[in-house]
Amino acid sequence: MSRDANPHAMAPSKPGRTRTAPPQLPDRFPFGGRYLAYTLFDLTGILYVLLGLMVLCATWALGSGAASWSSLLERHRSVVYIAFHAVALIGVIFVGVRFFGFFPKAQPPRVGPLKPPPGPVILAALYAVWIGVAALLCGVLAGGILR
Amino acid sequence: MSDALQKKTFVITRFDPDQDDAPRKQSYEIPVRSDWKVLDALNFIKDEVDATLSHRWSCRMAVCGSCGMMVNGEPRLTCKEPLDQYGSTVAIAPLANFPVVRDLVVEAEAFMEKLTHVKPWIIRAKERAVEEGPLRQSPAELEEFKQFSMCINCMLCYAACPVVANEPEFLGPAAIALGHRYNLDSRDEGAAERNELFRGEGTVFSCSFANECSEVCPKHVDPAAAVNQAKFNAAIDWATRLVLPRGGDE
Amino acid sequence: MKHPLLKLEPLIWLLFGQGILLGTILLTPWLLVMGLGIPLGIVPADALSYERAHLLASHLVGRLVLLGLIVLPLWKGVHHMRHTFIDFGGAKRDALVAPLLYLLAALGSLLALVAVVRI
Repeated sequence: MSRDANPHAMAPSKPGRTRTAPPQLPDRFPFGGRYLAYTLFDLTGILYVLLGLMVLCATWALGSGAASWSSLLERHRSVVYIAFHAVALIGVIFVGVRFFGFFPKAQPPRVGPLKPPPGPVILAALYAVWIGVAALLCGVLAGGILR
Repeated sequence: MSDALQKKTFVITRFDPDQDDAPRKQSYEIPVRSDWKVLDALNFIKDEVDATLSHRWSCRMAVCGSCGMMVNGEPRLTCKEPLDQYGSTVAIAPLANFPVVRDLVVEAEAFMEKLTHVKPWIIRAKERAVEEGPLRQSPAELEEFKQFSMCINCMLCYAACPVVANEPEFLGPAAIALGHRYNLDSRDEGAAERNELFRGEGTVFSCSFANECSEVCPKHVDPAAAVNQAKFNAAIDWATRLVLPRGGDE
Repeated sequence: MKHPLLKLEPLIWLLFGQGILLGTILLTPWLLVMGLGIPLGIVPADALSYERAHLLASHLVGRLVLLGLIVLPLWKGVHHMRHTFIDFGGAKRDALVAPLLYLLAALGSLLALVAVVRI
């Protein structure tokens, strides 16, 4: 059903000669059709803030000594923690895929004398870096590299 | 193969500022031809059923940008959309995010103001004398901005954009794409001026990359690409200005 | 009415852009190992025993990675939270809410700096 948009959306600087009906939001906004992916993308903001703060807690625990670190790792074994991080992983991958998909077309055709590489090359490079760095860091964190 | 006539019902949002407190819906059941566009049905309703219906249209061939409306909740050019893709009931409403003047006619003045605001003309540091001849531009230079020059000002992108819906000052997809078109034009020397406008009221940075504008654009201008390229350029320009204040341009 | 943060928008956007790009790239292995691998026992817990974790984190690269893992997602996150707030009709309060959100990110970034230095 129709819902009001911001009452001043697309309002002219001087009112017209007749009264107008207030602007309406698009029907499907914010959870219908293509808007759903967009709204979910924006909602990952809360997820990223929580993740940033959780890494901060882990870093703080690491700087507070062995006992702090052990008890942090112990708290991580909870079902809630694991479930949250499973959802977080899906969210982060979703953000990466959507953002990387848009990245090539957001590059200007030229910055000074420099031209960016063609879109497919940029996309391939982004995924290569994502997978490469993730694999490398996984290897380091999981003990396979830099034992 | 037969030109058999079907019937379809059109649920049209009506609004008469002299008589109605608020918009209301009115249904019309009419015979339709299989090869009609949505606009043909609207014109039939106005010509044969209800002459009070008001709607904008002109070229009938998707180049003038006049006939933009919400068809089943999506912003569309009614002269472009074949009727047979829709079911037996079709909802037609004025473009979302715009004040409504009457029926399917929206107030377009703010759109005109936003277009003008980005200085959509060639800006030169020094005007060129006629004797110097025309400004030359290679095909490669033309390619850099050509896509963004294809806008027909139909306003569908504004009807789809969630930021236009919520932030009245936002310049919007078409206006930013137009300004960016000039920034990319090799004959233009006004990028610094426009980038400052892009960072001012109605800032390009309000765009949240919904990409809806590009999804609905009937001319494949890809305004989302233009806006996000404009963000990058405006940010680089801002950073450059921090280091080299006014006068650092070529 | 001029928004108080208008002049800082390009900087915020640059931080947000890196937050998505680098933040997403760095968060993926963190989530795979710290978020799921070790808690589920798929990765042996001694891979990140205190001694090893401390050794990795006290290296300059380790400190920078941890700094990035905190700062970048925070800036991306608050920027998107601001946009979500506006999308759900909060534009009138943006002049109040936006500075608060960015302050949260700034404070978090400061704490991040302290946290990586004290490792």
